Parts: sequence; structure tokens; C-alpha cells
Amino acid sequence: MSNRILEVSDLDLSFTTYGQRTKVLHNLNFHLDAGERVSLIGQSGSGKTVTMRTIIGTLPMPPGKVENGSIRYEGRELLTLSRKQRNRLKGTGISIVLQDPLLSFNPVLTIHRQMDDIVRYADMRSNKSRSRSARRSHIIDTLKKVQLADGEHILGSYPMQLSGGMRQRVLIGMSLLNNPRLLIADEPGTALDVTTQQEILNLLNTLVSEEGLTLLLITHNLGVVREMADRVYVMQKGRIVEQGTRDEIFASPKHPYTLELMNSVLPLYGDKVVDVADTHHEENAIEIRGVNKIFSRKIGIIRRKTEVNHAVREVFLDISRGDIFGIAGESGSGKTTLAKILLGLHKPNSGEVTIDNQNLDGFQGSTEFRKTVQIVYQNPGSSLNPRRTVADQLKVPLKFTGFSPENYHARIEELLDMVELPRSYASMYPHELSGGQKQRVAIARALSCHPKILVLDEPTSALDVLIQNSVINLLHRLRDEFDLTYVFISHDLSLMRNFCNRVAIMFRGEICEQGRTRDIFANPQHPYTRALLSSIPVITAEEERLKPVVSKAERDAVLTTTTELTD
Amino acid sequence: MVAYLFRRTVALLLVLLGLVILIFIIARIVPGDPARIALGPLATADQVAEMRGEMGLDDPFLVQLWNYLTGLLQGDLGKSLLSSRPVMDDLVAALPATFELVLATIFLQISLSIPLGVLAAVYRDSWIDNITRIISLIGVVTPGFVLAIILQLLASYYLTFFPVTGRLDPGLEFSATKTGLLTIDSLLAGRWDVFGSACLHLFLPSIALAAAGIGQVMRITRSAMIEVGSRDFIEASRSYGIPEQVVTIRYMLRVASIAPLTILGLEFASLIGNAFIVEFVFSWPGIASYGVRTILQKDLNAVIGVVLVSGIFFVVANLVIDVLLGFIDPRNRLRDGSSK
Amino acid sequence: MIKDETVRTLSSGQMAWYRFKYNPSALIGVFIIISVIIGAIFAPWLAPSPESAGAHVDFLNRHSPPSGVYLMGTDNVGRDIFSRVLFGYRVSLGLVVGVLGIAVPFGVLLGLTAAYAGGWTEWVIMRFTDVMLAIPPLAMALAVTAVLSPNLVNAMIAITLLWWTWHTRLIYRIAKGQMAEDYVEAAKVSGASHVHILLRELLPNCISAIAVKTSLDAGFVILFGAALSFLGLGVQPPTPDLGTMVSTGSEYLPEYWWEALMPGFAILYVILGFNLLGDGLRDMMDVEL
Repeated sequence: MSNRILEVSDLDLSFTTYGQRTKVLHNLNFHLDAGERVSLIGQSGSGKTVTMRTIIGTLPMPPGKVENGSIRYEGRELLTLSRKQRNRLKGTGISIVLQDPLLSFNPVLTIHRQMDDIVRYADMRSNKSRSRSARRSHIIDTLKKVQLADGEHILGSYPMQLSGGMRQRVLIGMSLLNNPRLLIADEPGTALDVTTQQEILNLLNTLVSEEGLTLLLITHNLGVVREMADRVYVMQKGRIVEQGTRDEIFASPKHPYTLELMNSVLPLYGDKVVDVADTHHEENAIEIRGVNKIFSRKIGIIRRKTEVNHAVREVFLDISRGDIFGIAGESGSGKTTLAKILLGLHKPNSGEVTIDNQNLDGFQGSTEFRKTVQIVYQNPGSSLNPRRTVADQLKVPLKFTGFSPENYHARIEELLDMVELPRSYASMYPHELSGGQKQRVAIARALSCHPKILVLDEPTSALDVLIQNSVINLLHRLRDEFDLTYVFISHDLSLMRNFCNRVAIMFRGEICEQGRTRDIFANPQHPYTRALLSSIPVITAEEERLKPVVSKAERDAVLTTTTELTD
Repeated sequence: MVAYLFRRTVALLLVLLGLVILIFIIARIVPGDPARIALGPLATADQVAEMRGEMGLDDPFLVQLWNYLTGLLQGDLGKSLLSSRPVMDDLVAALPATFELVLATIFLQISLSIPLGVLAAVYRDSWIDNITRIISLIGVVTPGFVLAIILQLLASYYLTFFPVTGRLDPGLEFSATKTGLLTIDSLLAGRWDVFGSACLHLFLPSIALAAAGIGQVMRITRSAMIEVGSRDFIEASRSYGIPEQVVTIRYMLRVASIAPLTILGLEFASLIGNAFIVEFVFSWPGIASYGVRTILQKDLNAVIGVVLVSGIFFVVANLVIDVLLGFIDPRNRLRDGSSK
Repeated sequence: MIKDETVRTLSSGQMAWYRFKYNPSALIGVFIIISVIIGAIFAPWLAPSPESAGAHVDFLNRHSPPSGVYLMGTDNVGRDIFSRVLFGYRVSLGLVVGVLGIAVPFGVLLGLTAAYAGGWTEWVIMRFTDVMLAIPPLAMALAVTAVLSPNLVNAMIAITLLWWTWHTRLIYRIAKGQMAEDYVEAAKVSGASHVHILLRELLPNCISAIAVKTSLDAGFVILFGAALSFLGLGVQPPTPDLGTMVSTGSEYLPEYWWEALMPGFAILYVILGFNLLGDGLRDMMDVEL
């Protein structure tokens, strides 16, 4: 018992809203021992975050109320502590790292101000006093623990001036300032690119082993859990439905929900991978020849200086009819810009684009062009107009591509059938639909005027994993049925492996590698592709073995690590 | 920061230039011959024609505008058609009274609205919140002149120590020569009796003028505080053990003050306009009283002068707010800088 | 048909109605506005003394304090103030309809156009709006009415000339935010015309803000018109106008306090109504102004 850091037993918690009491946590039991890495898995709404806030003591009560149970930290009951004693533990005993590294900082205060406050008020509570410079050197030492050497520079910055990965590091540093024993991390790194996420996970692992931290990791990502946890609790709708060591859970999941979660993760390697057959068409649907796109923006006092962003650089691509062509890349790689060029929304600075054997220059903007290329956006919440009914939105492309009005109704019903939605949904507003249903409406709209090519801009990344797969299946079916060509833009390489027959990897505006999906994944040539693939957290040992192995030196050669300030 | 300020100043100066041109156009296209107004109905046609020549009214429009603008740069606003004194002199004489009233109003607005808004947000849904809500509603819906009359009534029956008109008790001899502001000049001269009297005179008019803004800004502060309070970084600060008071003032208010300050900027701009009413009711010898008089008599040069003064006030008030926002919110000044 | 999360079954209309019913301030607001509208429309029948609306004189009963007979007392020539207030509401409401009927569509259209068109169109519209905003509204209104002889129509023109700017700014800000949403680009990709995007895609997303703003504005237009008449530049006697009544009444302060205060409270009452309604709508439709 002596090394038990946290023990939650029989915890019941309810919320009262508008006089109605809803139980959100049911008989929760879990514990962490010193030095352990424990993971709480579950999808959004499973009660993970509420659990975290109850432990740290920031859940507003009311409306929250602990009905039953106890939370013990180092043997001490937390729920009966006075407010003052409870506050004393915040940051010093238990500390947290919140999910979004940008939103977790106060935007109008410097990093130094925010970190110094944390140290200063902790000192005050424990009747210590340190000089300002002593605190400053303590902060800089802490930043070194999260591998940020240039502390002086970082401290003078505002959060918005740091890169995403660096913010995440600083955030972890903040939580470590007062040497907590237990660190609760809520989805660390999931808001970041996969290569950066990898660095953050490595950092957390290092901290646990070197600083003697105990880690409670809250996540929905099973790949992350596999790399980060010794023991696992699976949470569903406020209950812990399964628990065990990591190896037990991954080797033989028992609860149906755990199984469902496991099955929803797409494999990167191995037998379960779906190989998508190549198209039987010979001709090209899209040809891209030496395309460049440069964004420039005037800055400075009198707008004399120009800031240049070379978003797309010398891109050559041939996409055959019937291809599902994946364009992969992390944020800022230029993949979305390339998609917008295909849609005629950006004009390239140089190079030629041919779509369906017609040069984009004269083609774009014509009705014929709209009947050729359409797009499905990432977030249907944004791509559907919240104030218009489903029917109204499906009507827009029909109206402007010369469909005769008397056929609107029939076509709308046909479209809803195609995407497997009830016809009665035509009169609904987007907010009455779930995320997956909304995305189906967006797909229906893109298909309404019989296009030949669909640009899919991360069409599933805003959806829950379990729904992702049904949308992917729908897209596969539609392609076969209507002989469509897909250009699939994504950062999710596991998805790409199972959905595309050909891929191109984009890196800083350039295409660094392209080819058949199977070949690229089996034998990546470019160091960036290798680094990218090796960073993806996977859920089986077999996949881990088949992933490319990338040495640190190799990795550093292509990626700027988030420990350095880039200017 | 320098770049940001420079751009804001240039933008605001352009607004001012646009304002001058607009007002000048309006003044020239309205019916009524300024020369005729200046001379009165008894003048002969010849006299009027001569006067027109003298006033440059027969020059092409652009020449008139150019002459006016160059005059303006030298501080020449033309002559008042009625008093025959330079408009500038009239304005300079009337300005301090208005300025004092407006400054007192701004002081009241800032010192009451933001703290009360914060209190309402902190003690959300309690009796404090309800009382401030009622106060702010009354402030917003009561027309300035009705409030002014109510205050005068109260002063004549109950709060009899508050004077109802003017800037100073008639018996007191004092001339404000340094700043023109009675409160400050009397303090500088060590005249406590004058200072007290000036403050008492200032009280009711500035309350009447400030009420609407206080009500509005209080509500905005409250909702901004509540909105900011639900953001992640506040949860983070609490989790790291920063005391609640510090979280409220340094972490929440700093961010939440951006919206109310922006509104206050616009509010200040309309103060001079609203001062027309309040000065009228309280017989305050300021620029608005002057404005009403000249407007009623179609004294165009003077009217342009008055509108210009309030335009300048608008621009300066907004510049001050911009600078303040630049300091509070680094995103404003960083956006234009070299680093992203 | 597909396995998906459960869907809320309440439609947006039902949700809004539900929130409206439990929003006391909106309900009070609606009550006040309806009472004012009824009072104004049926003034000739509801007023205890309809002849008081005109240049009626009853010296026997001048300066009578509020009583059962004269709910709000009588004025300096013995006219019933309550009757005059009812007729005064006709002027106030007329002003609201006249001003907002022109200023709101105009302002909204400019704001939408500026946000959608971008480039120099945006620059010209928004800078022009800035200039107009720098003019103190009351001073402008005073100048216009003074130059073009004071009466109701000119007061309306004066107020309208400045009022649109606020709607332009508000709608510009909202529409600019909406431009970042993908549905605008999706409509462009679908080939939608500019007019379609402006009126069918962007405008519906601005409607709730317009409704809230217009409701709050109605109160301020009344306030503004009353302020003009108070200074003697609005509606001219003997037409009963609330602002003029306050102004005339204030000459008899403090003894005959009701002559200024009662019409004053009448103004306050209608402004309060529009404000409560506006606030209620804001809570209900969850918009930020």
C-alpha cells in the first residue's frame, strides 16, 4: 500500500442540469502505483475528462456532485479535504497537461509570466520564498527537462509565437514546475502532427523513468496506449468495462466494446491490411505538370517587405481514371493548396494542370468543369450551411448546372438513397443530423451533378473512429458504382494504406515520393516517408516489427525537432 | 508595436480627413446662402454678392475645399457668421467645460462598469448579479434627458446639496487659466472651496451622461468574463494551483477586458453628441450648448467646427483605446511584426 | 438505416420556442411592445380624451396632478397627458418603422457585400462606414434638421443617414466570420452565383443577429427621436410627441413634476420593452453582438 499514489474507489458522480440529475460516473474503481504508467481509454463522452477534473478538483460542484465513493492520494482522502488543503495539492501533488496546447495558455501573457505565477503561488502556499531570479533559474531548469535548451528566449515569448510542438513541451514543463508526483495527461500530442506527437510521447516516457513520475494517460488512441501504458482501463459511458495489463488487453480483449475499439483501428501492416486494386483504366483523369504556388503577403510598417510562402513546389502528378489517389502530408505540407488548385480555387503561379483532357485555364469556372470535379470537405459542420435544409443544399449544384427544376425532387431522393440516408431527411437542418449523417449529405451534394472526380479533403477526420469506417465503405461503393476518381487528401497514413491504390507523400510543398500504396509502405525510400511511417503508433507487435526503423540521426536530418526555435 | 500604432494612426487620420470633406460637402449643398445668413434679411443683393466674393463662395468647389483644408492646418476654421469671431476662439472658450464633463464621465464609466461587471460574473446568478443587471438595464433604457430631469428633481427635493445648473457657485470668484478645467486648476491653485463646488456641480451631469455607457459596458464585461472563464487556460491555471483571485483578475479580466474596452471606445465617441442633451438640461456652458445655438441659427462654419471637434475626439479616443488594446493583447501588435 | 449516434429530435423552431417560453425578460418585452402597439393603433378609441391630441385647451384643469380622471395628470393647457402619450406612441412607432425600414436593409446589404467582395470594394465600404461613425450622431441629426427645417420626416432622414453604419459593421463582422466556413467555398464550387451566395447562403446566417440588433435598435431610435424633439428639432407642436412633451413639461419643474416625468416614463417604458425583447432574443438564438 505504501507506494499507492492514487486510488479511486466506488466513485459515483452526477450532474444536475435544469433540475434533472444525470449520473455520469458509475462505480468507478482504479488505482495507480508509484512509477506506473496507466491509461484510461475511451471515446468522447465516456467520462474520461470528468474523471480527470474530479481528481484534480476543478470540476464545478454544483452542478457536479459526488454521490458516493472516495479518491485517495497517497492514502489521504481528497474529497473531504478543505478547499485550502485541496488547493495546496494542485500542481504540487497532482498536475495535469490539458489536451490543446494552444488553448491551455493565456494568450495575452508571456510564458515567463505564466510559469512564474505557478511557482510563486506554490511557494506562497508552502511558506517558501525565493527571489525572482531563483524562480527564473528554476523555470529554465524545468524547461531543460522537457528538452528546451533556449529557455531565455522562450520565456520572453507569447504562446502564439511558439510552434505547436514547442507549446506542448512548455505545457508539460509547466505541469512539472512544482515537482508533482502524479501527472495526468489528457490526449497529449493528439492535436499535433504525428511526427511531433512521437517526440512528445518519447518525452513523457523519459520523464516517467528519469523524474520518477507516475503517469495517468487519458486518450482514445490505442496506438498511443500501446506505446505509453503499463496498465489499461477501458471506459464506456461512465463505467470501467475492462481492465488489465497492456499486454493482456491488446492480446485478448474481452469486453465487446474493447473489441469494437480494437477493430476500428485500421492496420498499417500485416494480413489485415486491405490492398486496393489498381484501376483498369489507362487514360489520365488529372495531369499536373510542374505546378508552383507561392503566396506572398506584404508586411512591415509601409508594406514594403514581402513574406513569401512557397506552398506548392514543382509538383508533377498523373492520376488515372478510377484511381483512389492519396496525397499525404502533415500540416503545412501544401496538400490542401494542391487540392484547391485542382478545384480552380487557387491559380498556380506556374505549371499546367489538365483535367479530363482539358487545360484548367480555360476549363475552370465553366458549368462543364463543375460537372467534372467536386469536393467533400473535412468538417461537414462547416461545409454544410447551418441555416438551410438538406434539400436546399443539395439543390444548389443542380440549380447552377442547368438541371430542370421539375426533376429536383426526384434527384434529391435519388441522392439520399445513394448515401443511404432516409428520404425524409431532405427537410432537416444540419444540426438535426449526427456527424456521420452530415458527411453523407456533403457527399451527396458533391455527387449531385454527376462529377467524374471527387477531391476528398480529410473526409473522415472529424468523425469518430467507429463512424469513419462506414463512411469509407460508402465511398468505396460509390466509386465502383459511378466509376469515380478520388483524390484523397489526408494526414492519416493508416487510413490511406487501406483506402488508396496509389499515394504521394508531400513534404514542405514538394512531392517527395509517389507510387503504388503497397510499394511505398513496404519499402519507403525518402527519409521523410520513413520518419513519418515510423512515427505512427500501431497496436500490434507485428506492425511494430514491419514499420521502418529510423535512427535518431536519420530522423533529425529531415525533421526540425520542436526543441529548436525556427524563424 | 510601432508598426501597429503607425498603421492605426494613419487609418484614423484618414477617417478624420474623410469626415472634414464629408461635412464640408454637406455644408455646401444645404439650402441657404451663408452670405445671406451672415448679413441678415435686410441686406441688398449687391451686398450679398460682395460678401460671397469675400467668403470665397463663388470659387470652384475644390478650391473652396482646398482653402478650407489649408486653413484648417493653420488652426483657422473661418469666422462664425453670427458672432463674427473666429470659430476657433469660440471653440477654445467652450471646450474646457465640455472636456471636464466628458473626462468625469469617462472616469465614472471605467471605474464603475468594469468592476461591477466582474462582480456580476464572479457572483453569477446571485443577488449581486441581479442587482447589477437591474442597474445596467435602467442605465441602458433611460434616455439621457429623462435621467437628467429625474436627477434634477431629486436634487431639488432631496439631495439639495447638489447644484442643478452651471459649473460653479455664483459667489465664487475663480478663473481657470492653466488647463481650463476647474477641478484641476483649483487644485493647482490650492482653492479647496472652488474644487468642492466644481465637483458637486460636475456630479449630476456626469452621472446623467455616463449611465447608458455604464449599463452597456457592465453587461459586456459580465458576459466576456463568463465566456473567458470557460476556456481551457483558466482550467489550466486553476489546476496549477493559482489562487482564485489571481485567476480572476490577471488571467480572466486581462483577456475579458478586450471586448468592453472596444465598446468603451465607441461609447466615448458618442459622448460629445450625448453631451448636447445633458449640457442643455444642466445649462452647462460647453461646446454642445454652443453647438445647439449655432445649429439653430444655421451658422455653418461654427457647425463644421463643432462636428470636427467631436470627430477629433472620436479619433483620439479610439487611438487611446487601440494603444491600450495593443498593450493588453499582444496579438494586435504581433500580427504586423516580422515574427509570426 | 445506419448505425450512428442518436439524434436530437427537437427541431430548431421548437428549441427556440421552448427557450422563449422560459425567458421571462423576453415575455415581458413582448407584453410591453404589444401594449404600446395596441395603445398607438387604437389611440382614438382608447384615449380618455382624444381631443387632447390636438391644440385643445382646458384652462380649468391645467396642471392637475395624476388622479383617477387624469391617469398621468394634465399639462400646462389642461390636456390629458395619458391621452397625449397614446397618440405620441404613434409618432414613435412611425419613426421606428421609417428609420429601420430603410437603414437596416441598406446597412445589411452593404455589410454583406463588403465581407463577400473583399478587395477594394471592402476597403471603400468599410472606410466610408468608419467616417460616418466618426460623426457624432446627435450633432449630425441636429445639423440636418436645423438646416432643413425641423419636422418628423427630416428627423427621420437625419437618423436614417447615420443608423445604417451600425448594421453594416455588425453584419460585416459576422459575414466575414462566415466566409471562413467551408460552405461558402462549397457553394462556389457548386457554381452558385454571387447573388445566391449573398442572399441564400450568407444572409440566413446573419438573420438572428439582425433580429436582435433591430429589436434593440427600435428602442434607441425612439430615444433618439425623442432627444431631437426635446431639443426642439423634431416633431413640432401641437402634434403630440413624447420628447416635446418632456421638454415643455420640464419648464414647470419641480412643482408640476408629472408633466415632464410621465411622458419621460412613457418613453422609458417602450425602450425597456424593445430592450427586453432584444436581450431575450439574444439569449434564445445565442448570438453575440
